[in-house]
Amino acid sequence: MRIIVEELKKDFRILLAYPAEIGFWIIWPILWVVPLVFQGQALIGGLHSTAFGDLAGTQEYIPYVLVGAIVSTYMFSAVWSMGNSLRDEMFYGTLEHILSAPARPVHILLGKGVYNSILSTAFVIIQMLICVFIFGLDITLTKIFPILFFLLLLLIGLYGIGFMAAAVTLLVKEAHGLLHMFEYILFLFSPIRYPVEVHPITRVVSVFIPLTYALIALRGLLLGIAFNFWKNSLILIGIDIIIIPLGLYIFSLIEKRTKTRGTLAHY
Amino acid sequence: MNRIVHYLRAINAENIKEWKIEWKYKPDFFRQFFEPLIFILPYLLYGFAVLGGRFSEHLETMTGVADMVAYTFIGYLIMGFLNTACWAMGASLRKEQWYGTLDTIFVAPVPRWVYVAGMAAHSTCHQGLIMLIQAVVITTIFAIVFQTAGIFFALIIVALMILAIYGLGIMVAGFTIGLKQWWVISETFSTLITIVTPIAYPLAVLPLFLRKVSLLLPTTYGVMGVRHFLLGELLGIDFITIIIRLVIILIVWLAFGLGIFMFMDRFGRKKGVLSTY
Repeated sequence: MRIIVEELKKDFRILLAYPAEIGFWIIWPILWVVPLVFQGQALIGGLHSTAFGDLAGTQEYIPYVLVGAIVSTYMFSAVWSMGNSLRDEMFYGTLEHILSAPARPVHILLGKGVYNSILSTAFVIIQMLICVFIFGLDITLTKIFPILFFLLLLLIGLYGIGFMAAAVTLLVKEAHGLLHMFEYILFLFSPIRYPVEVHPITRVVSVFIPLTYALIALRGLLLGIAFNFWKNSLILIGIDIIIIPLGLYIFSLIEKRTKTRGTLAHY
Repeated sequence: MNRIVHYLRAINAENIKEWKIEWKYKPDFFRQFFEPLIFILPYLLYGFAVLGGRFSEHLETMTGVADMVAYTFIGYLIMGFLNTACWAMGASLRKEQWYGTLDTIFVAPVPRWVYVAGMAAHSTCHQGLIMLIQAVVITTIFAIVFQTAGIFFALIIVALMILAIYGLGIMVAGFTIGLKQWWVISETFSTLITIVTPIAYPLAVLPLFLRKVSLLLPTTYGVMGVRHFLLGELLGIDFITIIIRLVIILIVWLAFGLGIFMFMDRFGRKKGVLSTY
């Protein structure tokens, strides 16, 4: 527990050394929606699309992509921040010190996971408040607990992926680009910007991504689109049960391998 | 003459060095050629979801082009150069810092602009190759037909746009010296320019204020000009006007970018923050 707390303190100190990052992660996921709004208007000349409604259950594509953008903050946090966390330590010259400290590397990784979870949740809350007060998004108090429930399930699943991303960094070193591509793959195959029913391949692949079920549930709660609460909850719980141990196992495996081969300090 | 040859050799050495470093990380090297294909697909699928098909009557009324796929694809293809300028050129100095070689490079017996020109040369070669692969794959998959007669003029526009964008890349590289956390700077510029540039939509859908801002960007003329010559997009301005405006923007952006770079370089050395993180 002390290791996780110390890791949290350290990461927050580093974050405060680059304060521009805080503003960036609050505002930018919302700004990334703007080109999609303009594109929609250019294609159909309005803010409602019948074709979109047939696929997504709502004709209003702007709130749909807005919710996707907010929730994708967790995806960025899990893939990008977790994946790069060890690479950053490598660049700072502190990776060997951390991994040779009398603490289990998994605990350090958990500390980084908790740090990113707290941070991304704070960003998501601020983004939701922006959407409520500026874009008129309607959230009733009764919906808050189910929303938090699904966010928690999503968070656990994504950090399983995040642990794997951190392991990939130890293995291939310059994983910055690979993580970016992984992000794009998640963008492509999960319903962040559009309903995956738009293409048979996206529909099939999306079944294996936790983000899909969380987004269906969260959009259902926030936008009033019909969805199966228990089905989505149980699938997410099932994915979480598998993905967290798997992510930790892969990380431990690769961490041991890099130590054995002596490539930990390689760039 | 000897000095020019000396500089050209340094530019080439910088270009070769970048290729060598990239080749060292093979999964990342090959990733760069596939990533733009994966990047563009969500925008096309989003278009399909909103439209319920590939062709848009509304888009045709506004631009003269009904094919959403071709229209969107050209926009994002051209914008690849913006990402290269912002990301690759911005990251290059930060990476040298991480590798511990920035101080060494900056005391080499060549002016700073030679290093910057080397980065730009590498970015042009690399992004050009990526674009070529992307163009061949997407046009084959989606059976996009271009007006080949317009290729020469389209290439002139792209060349001018690239030079102007490198002004931005040089500026981002300069900011990296003083502000360090390069990706925030890169992402800020690239996102704002992406919103204002008519990539997957015509200028007419932008609010009036953004439309005026858009006219100051080289990417606006790059995207609209190329779409005009390859797809027949209707424009309110002629080719000569596009070229004149691009040349003016190029001069201003390059001068501004170099100015910021020189300023930040001096600032970095004066404050002693060149090698700090």
